[in-house]
Amino acid sequence: MKRKWLSLMLALAMVTSLLSGCGGGNSESGGTGEQSPDAAPSSTVQNTIFNGELEQNITIRVLENDTVIAKGYFAELIDAFNEAYADYGIVAVDANMDQYLDLANDGPYGYGPDVLYQANDIIMQYAEGKHVYPLPIEQLECYDQIPQSAWDAYAATIEGTEYYCGVPVNIQAPMLYYRKDLLPENWESEWDQDGDGVPDMTQRWSDLLAFSQARHEGDKNLYGYMKSLDDVYFSSGFLFSYGAYIFGNNNRDTEDIGFAAGEAEKGAWVLSQLASAMNEDCIDSTITTNAYSRMADGTYFATITTPDVYSTFIDELTKTYMGEGLDQAAAEEKAVENLVMTGLPKLPESGDLSDESAGLIDSKAMGGINGYAISAYTQYPNACLAFVEFATGYDMIMKRSEMLGIAPARADAAQAAGETSQQLFDRLEQGNIIIMPSVKAVGQIWTPGQTFFIDLAKDVFRPESEKKYTDLSAMKQGLEEMSQQIYDAIHTLN
Amino acid sequence: MEKWNGFCEAAKNSSWKVKLSAVVMGGGQLLYGCWQKGLVYLLVELSVLYYFITRGISDLVGFFTLGTQKADPWTGTAGDNSVVMLLMGIFAWIVIAVFLCIYVSNLKDAYAIERRVKAGEQPISFKAELAQLLDRKFYITALALPVLGVCVFHILPIVFMILIAFTNYGGSIVPPELVDWVGFQNFAQLTTLSRFAPTFFRILGWNVVWAVLSTGLNYFAGLGLALLLNKDCVRGKAFWRLFPILAYAIPGFITLLGFKFMFSYGGPINQIIRDLGGTAIGFLDLDAKWSARLIGLFVNCWISVPSIMLLATGHLSNRDMTIYESARIDGANRWHQFKSLTLPYMIFTTTPVILSQFVGNFNNFGIFYFLRGGLYMDNYFLASDTDLLINWLYNLSIDNNYYSIGAAISLVIFLITSTISLAVYVRSAAFREEDTFQ
Repeated sequence: MKRKWLSLMLALAMVTSLLSGCGGGNSESGGTGEQSPDAAPSSTVQNTIFNGELEQNITIRVLENDTVIAKGYFAELIDAFNEAYADYGIVAVDANMDQYLDLANDGPYGYGPDVLYQANDIIMQYAEGKHVYPLPIEQLECYDQIPQSAWDAYAATIEGTEYYCGVPVNIQAPMLYYRKDLLPENWESEWDQDGDGVPDMTQRWSDLLAFSQARHEGDKNLYGYMKSLDDVYFSSGFLFSYGAYIFGNNNRDTEDIGFAAGEAEKGAWVLSQLASAMNEDCIDSTITTNAYSRMADGTYFATITTPDVYSTFIDELTKTYMGEGLDQAAAEEKAVENLVMTGLPKLPESGDLSDESAGLIDSKAMGGINGYAISAYTQYPNACLAFVEFATGYDMIMKRSEMLGIAPARADAAQAAGETSQQLFDRLEQGNIIIMPSVKAVGQIWTPGQTFFIDLAKDVFRPESEKKYTDLSAMKQGLEEMSQQIYDAIHTLN
Repeated sequence: MEKWNGFCEAAKNSSWKVKLSAVVMGGGQLLYGCWQKGLVYLLVELSVLYYFITRGISDLVGFFTLGTQKADPWTGTAGDNSVVMLLMGIFAWIVIAVFLCIYVSNLKDAYAIERRVKAGEQPISFKAELAQLLDRKFYITALALPVLGVCVFHILPIVFMILIAFTNYGGSIVPPELVDWVGFQNFAQLTTLSRFAPTFFRILGWNVVWAVLSTGLNYFAGLGLALLLNKDCVRGKAFWRLFPILAYAIPGFITLLGFKFMFSYGGPINQIIRDLGGTAIGFLDLDAKWSARLIGLFVNCWISVPSIMLLATGHLSNRDMTIYESARIDGANRWHQFKSLTLPYMIFTTTPVILSQFVGNFNNFGIFYFLRGGLYMDNYFLASDTDLLINWLYNLSIDNNYYSIGAAISLVIFLITSTISLAVYVRSAAFREEDTFQ
């Protein structure tokens, strides 16, 4: 009996091991499987996908962001496209899904959009898993108009070949906002040393700090420049200005974390000096939250944030002026006249904001490029490419800029769209906008970075005996620890 | 053993008709004329066979391999999704388990029919058996669907989560990359890896302190409030009870965000401090380890006390007041009455609630996520000094994609909370002396 059972157990074990060795029976291999790095040049892959034959009588689902839909631009875009491609029976519709989609999980089951508009870091996370198609960008009309730095935001090296997986539409980067009507009456004599007709405090961080201190001295309830330091997106720009970077090898090598590189500690010092003219609100997100109302009521003179919230500042300032007795139209006109959005001031080479003799360097800032990508799960790649080509054409980008106030990534549109757009475009071309890395690991920089910047801001308000960042070497060490934390988060288990 | 002997005896004594049921389900029933039941069993066997031929076998194979072909949307290679394969593999095992149950019932039934026939009785008709399902065996009818639901919606996800802890799912290994089995490697990393182990034990220590303190605080504060509002001298009881209920009715995360604002640098508390000439205090900031922990305890109390108060109010109204009368006559003061009568009674009646509060507090994700999220401290790996294990699990699995490590931590949490809960409950009077307080 025992022998029978033993035989049965052995037979079962054999069956199990045979079953284990059978391999994935349900994979429907429609291609060549995993490719070796030199298996196919990028153009071959793209030409196979985009063969130029427009699929006809089909519907493509386009995912745009909520603001674009709310402001009516999206309706105009798809109406214009549908009219232009009516002969082919191609209809573009709103994908009607959450803008924070999960293409990696939903796409394979047919739930994602065909075309998606997202920030470069999001699109490129999909590119890593081949969830969006590599695009034949040289064939697009906009190719020559968009600077290489913007295209680089969508470049990915996959299996040894470089691909571009998105088409840049607009540039996002911090701008300085200030209230012209809060300038001192004598600013032209006292705060325009170079006589260029532009207030010095909006051109140099050292002057902005001096003005902030003077304003607060005059009235303890008033402040000059105010910004929460805990926001990595805005604060890290000061580090970049002195040689820091996010990841090495053009933001692709996550083994090389560069927040402490170069003389990044000078950037941390600048932040620390600026925080000394603020109050404790800069430690947490209080200033970011109430900047609109505090700028409007005159408590703050200046702050930095992205161009897309310009209308919110205008709305708040308009309310303030209406409270002072102006009617809606006059209040709005006055708000537009007094709220100035401009590029970032220059930094002293030494990092010392009290050193007036120091040479000046450009401020760098973290930024992003929003653009279009095509889902790798679409059935109609050629129609999708036609849509992207249409949506990134000069006319549609200009309309987008007019209706949404975005800064176009196209050179011709940026020039035509106005001073702010041109400034952002120039900053991008000059390398002063550090585009968010297009790798998945970028998601792991935020919390360690936030913790460091909170600590740095908090240090300004600690008693002398408890201060951690008393000199540049201490700041360097803090930045190195933050970089190490990011490295550990990314690589401990990978 | 007795069952095994019974099985051996049945196998020895049964005729070939019963043995046929072992190969063709329902065969014995059909041969004894119970063709309806036989067909049902046969249909079950055929359905299961169909399932395994069409996909069950590949699902089982997938369970072991977790995929062999990586997907490549650019070339149209569908590939294997390891996570889906794991899930479908578990489902296949559940199907096997359910099938085995039906298979055994098929054998038992065939043998029972044969015994009835041998005893000269007629087999029970299909109609009569169906009638029994609505009468004597109604529990089967009533529970069949819920059990199936529990299998699919509870057991499957729980087993899935448990099994994830034994894979390398997470980090850069997420679909379309293929996941592999790694055995106990994640648990080993949790306790031995220099980055994980200190953080794990540090957070575990605070987590236990937090769970005990918050459960005790909430319970006694709720009981105290209920006793206070139960006193005869309190006028307008309904009015006073309204306020805690309001705190209870407001969604927890709104309350938490409200408290976060109140204690922030720009919040009203610091505003008052500044107006009085003081310096703003970072109640919840980077350096605020213990003040943040105390605020967490207080806020949790604010959210949880009303439910305990309502529960205690109900139980207190069921007390036998003659015992208190006797105690008073015997000279017991209020404290003695509370210590010797009220508290034992309340502990007895609410032990399961205390345990559920303990487990809930041990896994209280919201308090520190909303009050003080987004900080990674020195000496902690991807966590802060107020994070509980559940917050760390979130940081690892959601913010940093370490799903398998997150699953391993959740298994550890489960082991801790279930062990403590079971140990306390089994030793409690509520379990051992269930019938004493009537």
